Amino acid sequence: MKIRPALTVLTCAVALALSGCNLVGGSSDSGSAADKVTVTVALVPDPPGASEFYRQQFDEFEKANPGIAVKVVENPSDQQLNAVELMFQQNRAPDVFRAQDDGMDRMAARGWVAPLDEFVTPEFLKRFPEGSMDPATSGLHRDGKLMSLPLVWGPWSSLRVFLYNEDLLKKSGFDGPPKTWADLERMAAKITADGHGKYFGYAPTAAKAPAAEMLAGTAVPYSVAASGIDFRTGKPATSSPGLVEAVELHRRMQAAKVMMPGWESWDGSRAFKEFAAGKLAMYPTPPWHVAEVRKLSPEIKLGITGLPVPAAGRGAYLARNKSFSPLWSMSSQSAHKAESWKVMDFLASDAFHKAYYQKFGTLTALEGAWKAEAEKNPDQAAILKVAAETLRRAPNPALASKGGQAITQALAAKPDLKYTDAAVSSIVKNQPFAPAAAQLDKDLQTFLDKTSADLAAKGQEGSAKDLTFAGWDPLKDFTPGG
Amino acid sequence: MTTTIERVVRKAPVPERPRRGRGAFRRHLWSYVFLIPLVLLFGGFTVWPMIASWWYAFFDWDGVGSPADWVGLANFREVLASDAFWRAFWHSFVFSLAAIFVELPLALVLAILLNNSWLRFRNLYRLVLFLPVVATTAVIGIVIAILLDPAGGLVNRILLDSGLIDQPVNFLGSTSIALPTLLSIDVWKGFGITLIYWLAALQTVPKDLQEAAAIDGAGFWRSLRFVTLPVVMPIAIVILLLVFQRSLNTFDLVRAVTEGGPDYATDVVPTYIYRYAFDPSLQAPRYGFASAAGVVFGLLTLVVTLLQAPFMRRRVGS
Repeated sequence: MKIRPALTVLTCAVALALSGCNLVGGSSDSGSAADKVTVTVALVPDPPGASEFYRQQFDEFEKANPGIAVKVVENPSDQQLNAVELMFQQNRAPDVFRAQDDGMDRMAARGWVAPLDEFVTPEFLKRFPEGSMDPATSGLHRDGKLMSLPLVWGPWSSLRVFLYNEDLLKKSGFDGPPKTWADLERMAAKITADGHGKYFGYAPTAAKAPAAEMLAGTAVPYSVAASGIDFRTGKPATSSPGLVEAVELHRRMQAAKVMMPGWESWDGSRAFKEFAAGKLAMYPTPPWHVAEVRKLSPEIKLGITGLPVPAAGRGAYLARNKSFSPLWSMSSQSAHKAESWKVMDFLASDAFHKAYYQKFGTLTALEGAWKAEAEKNPDQAAILKVAAETLRRAPNPALASKGGQAITQALAAKPDLKYTDAAVSSIVKNQPFAPAAAQLDKDLQTFLDKTSADLAAKGQEGSAKDLTFAGWDPLKDFTPGG
Repeated sequence: MTTTIERVVRKAPVPERPRRGRGAFRRHLWSYVFLIPLVLLFGGFTVWPMIASWWYAFFDWDGVGSPADWVGLANFREVLASDAFWRAFWHSFVFSLAAIFVELPLALVLAILLNNSWLRFRNLYRLVLFLPVVATTAVIGIVIAILLDPAGGLVNRILLDSGLIDQPVNFLGSTSIALPTLLSIDVWKGFGITLIYWLAALQTVPKDLQEAAAIDGAGFWRSLRFVTLPVVMPIAIVILLLVFQRSLNTFDLVRAVTEGGPDYATDVVPTYIYRYAFDPSLQAPRYGFASAAGVVFGLLTLVVTLLQAPFMRRRVGS
């Protein structure tokens, strides 16, 4: 086979040109002015419309800070952490990134989060509600250092509300929402029967039946509903009657075909879509669903109230175990920390929070940005009322001690030990939950014993004692050290 | 006395054996040069990750930094003792069975029909049957969820209105119906590509062989049995392996439609692995464990494939 010289030259030229596309021309930053510093922000395009919102906000920021260009890197919500981790491993770490709750701890454990204390001024701290930035309870501090900034209002992440369609309830002869689980079961059955397949009384919010956990939060301490461990005793308590009954309530409604069919494959947004479409009468939810329902159906007769409680009475309040949920962190590898802080300072500014509230209806961390307006908005006023009535301060082992942090992190890495799968299985297969709960308690105890022993062998703190807050009453506000 | 077919087959030219040695290498030098990009990319993106995953499987590793926490065979023991893994493996295997015993023969029947030159609009039929292959799985997932919705979905409405059912069918939410539903969607989606394989195979059957069979008095069925099928049999083995492998690795459809639910009734090994490697609810991903699950799955696939070898040899030999 003879290769002509011209063909050889052409092949080489094409190869060089193609490789040059990647090796030389890959950067999109080179076109901007040389004296500008580019700050990369990794975020998620959530809620819907966030992409345009953030770009618009950062454009405003750039106008006010001509020396800084903000480059946004968007990742899908469920892949944000993995994507940011990859960026760090490839030495392309973003300067500022969104890492929520446990995600921030995951990043901090790898040494990728820069403390922000050197940038924080008294004026900055004054923006937040009084006492909320206390390192012991803020939720943003680790080992006394400020590691993250919040976006949403403190109670927003812990709060759960009960939504109901007033028109659908009225059609079945109900004047108000259910007060107890028994009311809920009875009303849901009647509404579903009256709906004749056109609308339904109730749904457990999503495929993993988070409604069971939400309702259980009114019967048992939040730690039992969240992780299966009772923080009053430091012992596994998945078998607590309140939690078992919350699952059994859903099992009965599923067996009686009261719940809206198909919920078993719902994603996180399906419930508010069905509710807004008038096909679902009631469900418990985090408060952000309220704005989504309103966007889809502005005229719907939407009722917002607290979650129904067990017939025997409330056993616990919803827990607020930190002032804020962490969200924005700065990379420890950032070469432009001062400029990155300016971006973070902007993300925690009154102007940004006001704009975020107005765009998405989310109550943000700076109460001054929205409080007056929210009190005039019936939906948001109802959310504020439910928060005041149903949320109480609760202990947080991860903030209380290093041992508590180690144990809770180890527990978070073991999703198999959470009862969610067993609860869903019980509901969809119509099998009793109690035996599965008893087995989970045994597995949890084994895990706690082993983890404590492993930590002790490494000379680290962490045992059931770190999960025990003996004086805590889940019906009262908890005071750390009190 | 010989038949026309035997005479045709005897006349077929014997391919020249390629020359070996340095001369041949020099002669094909440029061919090897042009292969380099493929070899590099295949090595970098297929072979290396495969070898690396075998190595990672021996570590308790979250995917960050270098793996350092050697755990020996612990990950493998955990995988082999996991009921969830075996349940997922069974579901993956059922996907393969459906593809082999439903999709493969159906596609062959249709390919034989569509291979006839007398059939009008056959290219249009081929296009229609191939469309699901190029449709995005995520979009299919959304459309299917809407169509099969038990609360007002089109399929349930038609079934209810026609009196075939008196209660809506929970196609994706029932632990007993979700898997068959996904299997049907998978067969429908993969049908077009299997059809193309068969059509390609059928077009390798020499026309003169078929004409010779016709001259010998063979009708459609005898020609199919004694000419077409024996000729395509070696290619059929390849098609079977391709379909088997593809269906065993079904991931996107399950992820898009049910995410393995309800209650893991549709969980397959790729979604099982994905959960441990990438689930954002995990405090730290378990790449080491996920790699071990991948290796075990790969070995099991190899064993199942090898189990088919004697059957295939017999079929090709006959």
